[in-house]
Order: sequence, then structure tokens, then C-alpha cells
Amino acid sequence: MKFKTFLGAAAVLTLAAGSALAADKDAADTAVEAAKKYAGTTISIVWEAGLQSLDPLNYSGPQWEKLTGIKVKVVEVPTDQMFTKIMQDFKSGAGAYDALNVIPSWMPDLARAGALEPLDKYVDKFGYRDELQDIAAAYRDNQMQYDGKIYGFPDDGDVMLLYYRKDIFEDPKMKDEFKAKFGYELAPPKDWKQFDEIGQFITDKMAPKVYGAGFFRTAPYPQYMFQERFRMEGGKFFNADTMKAAVNGEVGLKVFKQMVAENKFMPPGVEQWNFVDNLAAFLQGTTAMTISWPPYGRWAAGYGSGEQALKWVPKSQVAGKVGYALTPLGRPELGVGFDLSVSATSKNKEAAYLFIQWLNSKKTSLERVQLPYTLRDPFRLSHYASEKYRALWPDAAAYLDTIKTSGEKGLLDLSLLQQDKYDEAMTKAISSLWAGEDPKAILDRMAQQFDAITEKVGVENQKAVYKVWAAKPGAYPQ
Amino acid sequence: MTVSVSLNGAEQRRPSRFGRMLEDRLPYLIAAPAILILLLVGLFPLIYSLIVSFQRITMTENDTSFVGFLNYAELFRDARLWASLGHTAIITAIALPLELLVGFLMAQLFIDRMPGRQIFVALLVLPTVISPIVAGATWRLMFDVRFGPIGQILSFFAGEPVRILWTVNPAFVYPAIIICEVWQWSPFMFLLLLAALSNVDQSQLEAAEIDGASYLRVLRAIVLPAIAPVIAVACLIRGLDLVRIFDIIWALTEGGPGSMTETISLYTYVQGFSQFEISYTAAISFLVIALLTLITTLVLKRMELAR
Repeated sequence: MKFKTFLGAAAVLTLAAGSALAADKDAADTAVEAAKKYAGTTISIVWEAGLQSLDPLNYSGPQWEKLTGIKVKVVEVPTDQMFTKIMQDFKSGAGAYDALNVIPSWMPDLARAGALEPLDKYVDKFGYRDELQDIAAAYRDNQMQYDGKIYGFPDDGDVMLLYYRKDIFEDPKMKDEFKAKFGYELAPPKDWKQFDEIGQFITDKMAPKVYGAGFFRTAPYPQYMFQERFRMEGGKFFNADTMKAAVNGEVGLKVFKQMVAENKFMPPGVEQWNFVDNLAAFLQGTTAMTISWPPYGRWAAGYGSGEQALKWVPKSQVAGKVGYALTPLGRPELGVGFDLSVSATSKNKEAAYLFIQWLNSKKTSLERVQLPYTLRDPFRLSHYASEKYRALWPDAAAYLDTIKTSGEKGLLDLSLLQQDKYDEAMTKAISSLWAGEDPKAILDRMAQQFDAITEKVGVENQKAVYKVWAAKPGAYPQ
Repeated sequence: MTVSVSLNGAEQRRPSRFGRMLEDRLPYLIAAPAILILLLVGLFPLIYSLIVSFQRITMTENDTSFVGFLNYAELFRDARLWASLGHTAIITAIALPLELLVGFLMAQLFIDRMPGRQIFVALLVLPTVISPIVAGATWRLMFDVRFGPIGQILSFFAGEPVRILWTVNPAFVYPAIIICEVWQWSPFMFLLLLAALSNVDQSQLEAAEIDGASYLRVLRAIVLPAIAPVIAVACLIRGLDLVRIFDIIWALTEGGPGSMTETISLYTYVQGFSQFEISYTAAISFLVIALLTLITTLVLKRMELAR
């Protein structure tokens, strides 16, 4: 009897120890162990060309090969061609790509076309569900699934932040004069009226040395800014019952008029500015405020300034002088982002899956978001809380806190069937706005184009997709 | 059994029936592989596109059933398509005569022997060897409002900062495209016209000079008729190129602002490779082929009549 009790106890202890060991094994280790059986194979992954792809080229690809013996071939594709390339590969059935970087707003199209492999079975097989809970809710709840199935792991914490010059905003003379003129404190703007007043005030006081603000005005950023401002002012993209476009009402007109008026206190020629123009102006201290993706904050602080890959980034003249805040009205656009997915036509699906699980895991992703030369932004709760990251530069903790709050409050990009067509219509409309065309005429044309796209896709189909999207917490401000 | 006949005293074997057949068809047999390859490379895609244009293949649908003239009917309702054709016509109508004029003036300048002529000619031809996308990107930098030399030169002459948004302001986007296009392709006209002018009958020119004919009269009565066929061919080649213009505009304006400078090639690209309207794009391609065939036929007919 005693012996039986001993045996039973031993069995229970063994099981408990086994479970504890399994629990200790994180998703990265699990992926590595499971992937070793594919040693000697090569997997290809589509990655955004430029800085982004330095991650798999210089860091994660070689690491993965060292750990598992699987080679990683990085297929660099410019962002605006990624969707096309993925679809071309899928349509041809060539299976040239195993793993993919997918912009979340493309997910409905790619999933419906059958180009993406559902990942649920792999997630369960390789015990990844728990670690997915660490991904910030804005990304996990909105950018991971389509029609109830997981098609990609959110892997980039894209969100718009307001960057402002603390030294100017805290200058006593500027503060006093501003308060005397407008009756409130000179501080990061809470709404767009304040943004315009502060911007104009700084331009009046300091231009041409410093202008109140500068923005990235060429595609694709302005359409994300429009999406954010339009919704925050109370606009709805469509009438949910009829799917008729509703962008050309009073709200759309107000936002367009404000956007074009703001160019007046920005540096001359801002209408032509791209990502780098705007970055250069802010880093050189020519603009006092800007709104952009998180890398601006890192580079403005001088993080990674010694990196060869960042030689093109102008040396920051504003390190230590930059504050981070929520965009006016407090619900920033998430703006693009990336998911890691597996191609449905891949011949190495499991190996590809294991690679993206390893990349996306808590352990590996924390290293990746700290790579100074790539553009991956923190997207996990553990990233925001990382003591190592929070100590990277003096204001890194404030930076991470702002990213976390912005992510929590973030507004989703519109994501419908054939979203790229709606995006194109918005992009073209905004470029007409900079050209001086009548805002109402532009909005009416944009609404007509929206309706034509919806009709072509099928009103009922689109209505169903819009309904699902609009019901998400980040779709419209509550 | 073969029958031998004597020719010039030598006996020759008469070819067999198979031999005769082989001899008759040998040229065709030799040419057949090349023709087959040409058909596969040229005609097959054309036929395939034609078939696709009667189907309904899009990004998400792979409907290969026959849908009749649905896509062709859509062409007539597509305002953006006709606008893009209009933009193409505007660019062609302005750039082509300018290229011809600049090319002709350059050729006139270089027709006479002068020191270093060959070096100058080689330098002038350089723009044509540059890839159009590079030319467009270079001109985009030249037009840049902050760093571009064009703005700086204009500011120097104006005595105050001149800030022209060449790729944004509707008044300047077409001039920007046309400047770039004329810069790149006038040397092509120049080369052809220089060769043509070199072949004008010198005795006629000398006779006209002795008769005291004015420069304009010589130009109208002797030079232009002599080089007219070359002008026609040059215009045809450049005209067709201009209808297909893509790279320069893509680099300069991407068809913007809005769709203001979107040409038919840009629109076809967007429909086919960005929006995956495969069948509709095939229909657009056939519309363009039809238009180009019509224009080419008319021009060739006119050339024939002139001759």
C-alpha cells in the first residue's frame, strides 16, 4: 500500500515537473525546437524593402539559421508593391513566398482570396496562444483575425504620435505671450483648433528659423490623417444601411478646409514633403511640431545615430528637447502596421509558421523592436514595460508610455474589401486638395468613387465587411 | 525508278517527288521555327488577352466564363479612362511638335561642319540613353522647391524667392512633364533630322542660293519636302512613344495632383497591377491597341499619299 502511494506520488510529481518545464519553455524556444527537423531547407519571406528588411537580413534571419539550420531568403518589396506581389504569387500558384509581411487592412482581401494560411491549428500545436495575449489589445483584437480565424500575428506597433519641441513649449517668454494672446497654457494641443493656434503662433514668432509645424503631405500619410480627423470630428465613412459614402458632408468639408489652411503656417513647399523631408525638418529643428510614426521619436533622441544604415537620417539637432503626446483629440490613427502571415501556396508552411512564431514571440520581438536600424515599433505589453528599453535614452520611458497610451486609444485604418481602391481615392483626393481644388468638389468626387467601388465589390458583401469592421472598438470613437 | 536526263553533257539525277516537295517547302520549313516563336511570343499573349477581356477575372474572382462585352461596355462609362486618354492627347499634342521643333533647330545648327561637332553631338544625345524613370527622378529634384536649381535660378532673376510647386500646382504640372519629355527626346529627333538634312540634294540648295531664294523659301520648297518622310517616321515613332508615356510621369507626379496627369498607361497599370482588374485591363489594352492601330494606319496612309 505504501509502495503504491509512493508510486502515485512520484507520478504526480513527475507530471507536475513536466508541466512546469513545458510552461517555462517560451514560444521562441518551442519554435526553435520544432523547427530543427527542417534544418537545411530555405524559407522565403516577403519584407518591406529598405530599413525594415535589415531586421531579417542582419539580425533575425542569421539568428534563425544559427538556431535551426533553416536558411531565410528575404524578398524585399516596396510597400506599395507588396500587395501586388503577394497576389501575383498566389494567383500564379508559384508558391515563391513562404512567409509574408501583410498590412492589416489588406487582410480581408487576402484572406477571402485564399492567399493566407489560417494559423489557428499551428498556434494550438505550438502553444502560442498565451503569448499572443501579451500583444497590445489594439493590435491583437483588431489586426490578427478575419472571420474568426487567425491569419497573421501583429508585429509592428504602428501608431501616430505628436512630437513637439519641449524647449519652445517651455520657454517662459513664449508661454507668457501665448497665454496672454489665447488665454490658455502653451502645451501639446488637445484639439485641432489649439494645434492651429499654436502652430501659427510659433511661426509668427520664429519663422523662418522655426515653423509651428510640418507634416508628411504626400501619400500615404495624409489619408491616415484624414481618416483620424474625420472620425474624431464625428464623421462616418458610410451609411451602414445603404453603404452609400458619407465622406462628403459637413465634417469632411471641415477637416479638408482645416488641413489645407494648416499649410499656411508650415514651411513653404510642405505640400511636397515626404516621410524623409518631414523627418529632416523636425530633426534639424525647423519645425516645432509634427505627427508621425514611432521611429521619429527614436531618431530625434539620437538613438542609433552611429548606425551605418541610418547614415541618411540627418543628425538630430533636437535630442533631449522632444516631447511626446497624443495627437489632437486624443485618438491617433494606428496607420498601416504589419502582420506576419504564412502564404497559402507555401511548400514549407510549418517551417514558415515556426519562423514567424519565433520572430513574433515575446523574447525575440523584444530584441527586434530595439534594433536601432529597423522600423519595427513596440507592440507588446512586455515591450512597453521592458526596463532595458525604458533606459535606452533619457526620455525613452515617456516615449514608451505615450506609444502604449496611443495604441490603447488608437483608431483602426478603414479595412474593407478592395481597401486599396478606397485608399487610392482618398490619396488622390488629398493631392487635389494641395493643388488648390475646391474641397467640396473633391469630396463629392471621392464619395462618387467610393460608391462606384462599393458597387463593383457588391453592396451586400461590403456591407457585411463594413459592419464587422465598424463594430470593432477602434473603428469609431465611442 | 529515276529517269536521267543529260544537261550540258553531264548526267544529273532528277529529284524524287519527296525531294521536289522538300525543295519547294524548304524556305517555309526553315522559317517555321522562327515564325512559331514569334507567334508564341507575340500573338499568343494577344489572343490570350483578348479571351481574358471577355471574362471576369478580378482580384478575388477567377470567373473564366464568357461575359460578352461587359468589360468593353464598362469602358464607355469609365470617366477616368477617357480623362486619362485626354491627358495623353494633351501631352502628345504639345510635346511632339516641341520635340520636332527643338530637334530640327538643333539639326540645323549642327548641319554645318564646326570644330568639336562630334563631341557636341554625342553630348546632346546623352539624355536619350538615360532611362526615363531616372530622367523623371532627376527632374523631380531639379524642380524641388527648396533645393532644386530651377527655383534658385528663377529666384536669382526675379530678385526674390520664387517658390513654384512644379509637381503640385495644376498650372505647372504639365509644363514640368513636357520640359522633361522634350529635354529627353528632342535629341532623338535631332539625330534623325541631322541625318535627313545631310542627305538633302546639295545641288538644289546651291541652285536656290544662286537664284537668291530666301532661307524660308529654301526651307519650304526644298528642305522640308526632302526630309518629310523622315519627319513623318520620326513623328510616328515619338507619337507612339508619347501615347505610351509612363516612367517620366510616374517619377514626377505619379499621375497627380489627383488624376490630373494620369495618362492611359498609368491608368492601365493601376487597374492591372494595383487593383487587379485583370479582365477590365485587358479590355483597356485592346482599346489602346485599336486606337494606336487607327492612328498608325492613318499616318502611314497619309505618308503613302504624300509620296
